Amino acid sequence: MRTAVLKFPGTTCEIDVAKALKKVGAEVEVVQFNKFDPDRYGGVVIPGGFSFGDYIRAGTIAANSEAMKRVKDMADEGKLVLGICNGFQILVESNILKGALLPNLNLRFITRWVRVKVRRRDTQFTKDSKETLFMPIAHMEGRYFLDDEELASRLSLFQYVDESGLPTPEANPNGSILNIAGISNDAGNVVGLMPHPERASFSTISPDGSTDGLEILKVFGK
Amino acid sequence: MMLTLSQREMEVVRRVLNREPNEAEWKLVDALWSEHCSYKSSKVFLRSLPSTGPNVVMSVEDWQDAGAVDVGDGWALVLKVESHNHPSAIDPFNGAATGVGGILRDIISKGARPIALLDMIRVGRLDQKGKWLVKNIISGIGFYGNSVGVPVVGGELSFDETYNDNPLVDVACVGVVKKDSIVPSVVKESGLKLVLVGFTGLDGLGGASFASRKLSGLDEIGAVQIADPFAGKVIIDLTLEVAKDVSAIKDLGGGGLAVAVTEMANGLGAVVNLEKVPLRYRDLLPEEIIISETQERMLFAVKPEKVEAVCSKFQELNYPCAEIGEISTEPTIRFLYKGETVAQLPSDLLLNPPLVVWPAERKERSNSDSRPVELKEAIVRVMTHPDLVSKEWAYSQFDYEVGTSTVVKPGDGDSAVVELPNGRLLALKGDANQDLCSEDSYECGKAIVAETYRNLATVGARGIALVDHLQFGDPRKPEVYHDFIEAVRGISEASKFFSIPVVGGKVSFHNEDKEGNPIKPTPLVVMAGLVEGKLGKGKPQEGSLVLLGLTRNELRGTLYSRLFGGRGSIPKVRLMEDELASKLVIKGINEDKVKWSKDLSKGGLAGAVLPLIVNGLTVAITSGAIQGTSDILAKMFSEGSGRFLVVTDDPQWFLYQAGRLGIQASVIGKAYQGSDLIIDEKSFNTEKITSNYFRFLEEVL
Repeated sequence: MRTAVLKFPGTTCEIDVAKALKKVGAEVEVVQFNKFDPDRYGGVVIPGGFSFGDYIRAGTIAANSEAMKRVKDMADEGKLVLGICNGFQILVESNILKGALLPNLNLRFITRWVRVKVRRRDTQFTKDSKETLFMPIAHMEGRYFLDDEELASRLSLFQYVDESGLPTPEANPNGSILNIAGISNDAGNVVGLMPHPERASFSTISPDGSTDGLEILKVFGK
Repeated sequence: MMLTLSQREMEVVRRVLNREPNEAEWKLVDALWSEHCSYKSSKVFLRSLPSTGPNVVMSVEDWQDAGAVDVGDGWALVLKVESHNHPSAIDPFNGAATGVGGILRDIISKGARPIALLDMIRVGRLDQKGKWLVKNIISGIGFYGNSVGVPVVGGELSFDETYNDNPLVDVACVGVVKKDSIVPSVVKESGLKLVLVGFTGLDGLGGASFASRKLSGLDEIGAVQIADPFAGKVIIDLTLEVAKDVSAIKDLGGGGLAVAVTEMANGLGAVVNLEKVPLRYRDLLPEEIIISETQERMLFAVKPEKVEAVCSKFQELNYPCAEIGEISTEPTIRFLYKGETVAQLPSDLLLNPPLVVWPAERKERSNSDSRPVELKEAIVRVMTHPDLVSKEWAYSQFDYEVGTSTVVKPGDGDSAVVELPNGRLLALKGDANQDLCSEDSYECGKAIVAETYRNLATVGARGIALVDHLQFGDPRKPEVYHDFIEAVRGISEASKFFSIPVVGGKVSFHNEDKEGNPIKPTPLVVMAGLVEGKLGKGKPQEGSLVLLGLTRNELRGTLYSRLFGGRGSIPKVRLMEDELASKLVIKGINEDKVKWSKDLSKGGLAGAVLPLIVNGLTVAITSGAIQGTSDILAKMFSEGSGRFLVVTDDPQWFLYQAGRLGIQASVIGKAYQGSDLIIDEKSFNTEKITSNYFRFLEEVL
């Protein structure tokens, strides 16, 4: 699939995401936010980083860009949209996904490898992925919150779990409601998550040699 | 604003000019002649460092920029280390953050893409102020490094009361560039246009001169620069994009525009029209524009026909870019403001301050022996020392995974390892040792180079280049200056021994506490190396413990001696033993004989077994098997060099190989499931040590 990796000023992960997408056979183009033509792509990934410095609030400035209106159109057309970390924050800030991402409970930036459990199979991203995925997080504002706990549970796609697969408080690195690490929209074509699948796509750099991130990204290779 | 020029220096200026300089000119001379920019007290000695070698692509010119070495397939590695000690003492968050920004711009000014950062932090007592310093230094580094997407892959966090008032914040950066695309920092022809990107503000006024004197306790906040990593990220991305279209790149660091223009002109002249400089505040005075050290600015020398192409890239993102002057043939640096001359000085005068060699004298060290200490007490005190605890609290605040190239991550080994664009593995490590340096800075200079060399060997790498950073008190104090000279001599000797070129470095003097006492001498080296065959990447695990190297009764200048007083003698660094033992460890890794290895350094053998114990293993040691001394304290805590602890299933292989090489090796015990430390059948409870290891920083901070 021809896939756009959308770069805002301050985006830091576009090269990593492109590298991982190439591995699954996607036709990747890194596109500047002000030169983004959605009609050229079957899917778009919004990578991590600090778009526009994350001044005001993480993702807010980017969320109000013309580029994100185009991403919304793509989402409405049923095209694949994936937001990773800052990309997730931008999707939430632009109301393409529901909820909010608040500062981590310990108020610090956290880098750590975590395990997440796939809670739903009704999205193209997860329909035949492994049960639990091992990926790193690296964020300051990753505490997912939504007023409506029932709705949050329905949207919840990935959940932080411990080694035995349980969503314990200890397994929750940032204080997210229901241990939520990522969600999707109702249609399942738009996904946002805090862990970085692209950083879990190369066996040389993962602590146990796994490449679980590819499980999520492989959909762009089709 | 305070000037740091001496009466003698002012006389030289007046004599050369044959007139009294105006205020702006004094500030210009002050910035360029500051210790920070000119190395006037150190240059003479730095020449002894070996800076050439078959793999050196570019060595430092006058020790002002980053050096580069060949790493194969047409790629060069650019590396550099710098500190932001003074700014961090006053505003730890911005001081540390701008330290990261500054070093990144040094790397991109060579046209290289930064791929990894290391941070080496030294602070004092963890009282209220100490905690404030640590928290803000760490979050400042994270704030900048994370925002620009360069992983902090390793470093040190170390505590010593000598740094109570004057913390040391060292940041090193490496970058990669195609060998044929390296951009110089100096020009060779006149007629090139000077192009400045970024806004100039009021921050960092006189920062270079401020860094070149002791902290006064007066209002110095104006000398600290404010960090804007978002602008920094834009600058990194765009500078690398335009690098092919520019003739020279220089970042604006200490001394601001004054220093950048003068150094870039490199003996040629320059005319700068200050009214063309994009300002953050409209009312900046011309002389403030000259010396402001606002971050996130770069200076390019550009062929006239390319100016528009370069600037349009920046303007597209609303980033200021302006042509502010040009390189002239006449060797004079001229700053004009709306046609009026603000300052006009000969390039030669600015670039060549009178060098000084201060009186030097060795300080007599007291030789008193310490009180006898129970082994148990010593074990607990050393193994629970903050220097040896888990630093996860700190490194988890850094985005060390960005770049998808961090192979050995923080906390996982004695060196960090990152993957280069050509697929080779690069090992990185920085080391300093203020305990040994305060006893004997010559031995210490040798020891820190040897330690980084050993650290690299534990991941299977051999050093290819190093950069140093020399941090001392006031050079006018004979005892301080003596230590400085001796440290350079030691570093020089060791790097020559290992054939590792010193491709860059920095000097930071005037590190003192409020009473004017110098910090313990703290030279620091950062070494880069390449993994030659297999990568040594094991987790602590069960097996036989083999100790390589001879343990001598040399407890002076160790962590033990800081806690309990001197004992034994000062370690004499035997570089040949380091070389041979390192060679054996690398060979062991390549032949799959090493399950886990650690070099012996801080905390000695006790420090080396700590990672095994906290990872759920019992360590049983037969002290009689440790060769070289009968003193049990020396056996456990000596930090003498040339030694490694190896966990292996084939101890005989190591004994045989060591014999062939002519170094000592002995099987000193075993590691197996459990959590005890057993020395000669006497068991030491390690519960407290283990919980302290994991919880100390989290609880204290």
